[in-house]
Amino acid sequence: MSLKIVVCIKQVPVSNNLKIDPITKNLIRSGESGVMNPYDKNAIEAALRLKDEWGGEVILLSMGPADFEMTLRQGMAMGCDDAILLSSRKFGGADTLATGYVLAQAIKKLGKVDLVLLGRQSVDADTSQVGPIVSEFLGWPQITFVSELTGHAKKGMTATRLLENMQQKIEFQLPAVVTVRSEMNEPRYPTPRNIQQSYKKNIRIWDENSLSVDPNRIGLKGSPTVVRSVWAPIKEAKHTIYLKGTPDEAVRELLIQMRASNLL
Amino acid sequence: MTDQEIWVYAEKHVGMIQPVTYQLITKAKEIANDKKVVVILFEATDKNLEEKIKEFGPNEIVVVKDDRLKDATDSEIASLMAELADRRKPNSILFGATVVGRSIAPRLQAKLNTGLTSDCLNLAFDDDLLIQTKPSYGDNIMCEIVCPKHRPQMASVRPNTFEAKKDLNQSVIVTKINDLFFKKAERIKIIEETPLLSKSDSIANADRVIALGRGAADEKAVRLAEELARKLGAKIGVTRPLTDHPKFSGDDQIGQSGNTIAPKLLVNLGVHGAVQYTTGIGSAELVVSIDKDPEAPIFNYSNYSYVGDSVSFLESFLKVIQ
Repeated sequence: MSLKIVVCIKQVPVSNNLKIDPITKNLIRSGESGVMNPYDKNAIEAALRLKDEWGGEVILLSMGPADFEMTLRQGMAMGCDDAILLSSRKFGGADTLATGYVLAQAIKKLGKVDLVLLGRQSVDADTSQVGPIVSEFLGWPQITFVSELTGHAKKGMTATRLLENMQQKIEFQLPAVVTVRSEMNEPRYPTPRNIQQSYKKNIRIWDENSLSVDPNRIGLKGSPTVVRSVWAPIKEAKHTIYLKGTPDEAVRELLIQMRASNLL
Repeated sequence: MTDQEIWVYAEKHVGMIQPVTYQLITKAKEIANDKKVVVILFEATDKNLEEKIKEFGPNEIVVVKDDRLKDATDSEIASLMAELADRRKPNSILFGATVVGRSIAPRLQAKLNTGLTSDCLNLAFDDDLLIQTKPSYGDNIMCEIVCPKHRPQMASVRPNTFEAKKDLNQSVIVTKINDLFFKKAERIKIIEETPLLSKSDSIANADRVIALGRGAADEKAVRLAEELARKLGAKIGVTRPLTDHPKFSGDDQIGQSGNTIAPKLLVNLGVHGAVQYTTGIGSAELVVSIDKDPEAPIFNYSNYSYVGDSVSFLESFLKVIQ
């Protein structure tokens, strides 16, 4: 059997150390364009391993401006076969709901997809919402925060899912949506051959006319949430008291305070 | 309007309501004004977890009892929640920003075609509008997010952000619902749910934590810290570099990519205090830090600081509390 796997990826800022313009209150974005969301590399690695085992193809899917092409090329340099960029001004300003809707419509258009993989969350917005939203719109099982994926692509697969202090084993059949934790694998580096190949491949650009989409459900219009304001949190320093003297003296002074706070 | 409801989804694992559920009930009551706080509980027929929930004093607990709920998948819970929401039209629905909460909530969001804000650090009401404060870019930026035109308003809240307080004075209505349509999820089955041994006493819920950093990573420091932890009834947490130590793993890590902790006492040993670490300790009450570097940023997050060697400090501590 051969698998048709879609990996949804996102380009994120190079660094999370963003500044806010004190006057306009807008985020000051650096001139550099972004990098691939780190968890998405684990999703790509998981897809490529399944392809190595079962055969088939791995298609990258991303929604964003034209410069996301860089990240898609990087994914193809890891060994993915094909890439589609969902790009249009009409898609702009999308929150997770509108993003998940457009991704799901693109996956439906591709047709006969067996598995959709995503990173567990993006490191910029940190929502982890898009995977489950895509699953709902496709009507497929979702298995989120997966750390291990084994089994038979046709007969049934088993996922290990790590919760805060629990572990779940989940059996499922394809098609399904799986979001991937970094514990699952070590993403491969692009080989020189794949890097070369990636520049020969064509990235398909799809806009709202390429897909069957309801214009009221895409972009800003299709996004229920509104960001009212953005600010940098003030990290208030605690007023620290320095314990002085030898370690013994310091500990004695600390114990007095701990007793006062009912900690001893 | 007085009949508006704030829902809290009751998350449970192996028969235990998760602490974040109680934290959400208390917070919801604080901000409710004249809205009702309603807990939504799904459980097997032999369970009575509503009795535990009552202690935190919501106005109402809606209980759905069904043996298929013993190992229900996230999408099945989302379907049931959607059905309930269609009937009662809540103003808002709150989840813990746990792995499961972050899986059920967006699936439900897509069913209800509404907005959801993940991993909130604060919630407030402006009339009927839920003001949701959420960090972005690795906690470097805070965003205020609202969902003005869609209902319900949905949010997940980071565990240990709010304190749970019991309220035994509230009379709690328990409403049993048994006529929901259970839409069985196809092609997926949870076959096992087991506590992770190394995390069964997770540092995220510990009252006392001793944290080890690079400056307290040698065998002697680890051994002494374990001894002190036993004496104080504390759990040991580590910074990222120590997750490679054979005794520790990512489960024990404190900080942005690990656990957010909220202990009453936190003792940092040889922890320098990178932002990735300090974002995880913002809710700790009494913070004591020992580090050799007088310029270590950790001292800015500490109530008590000692510039010196962690091993000597541990030896003195063990000797003095004998």
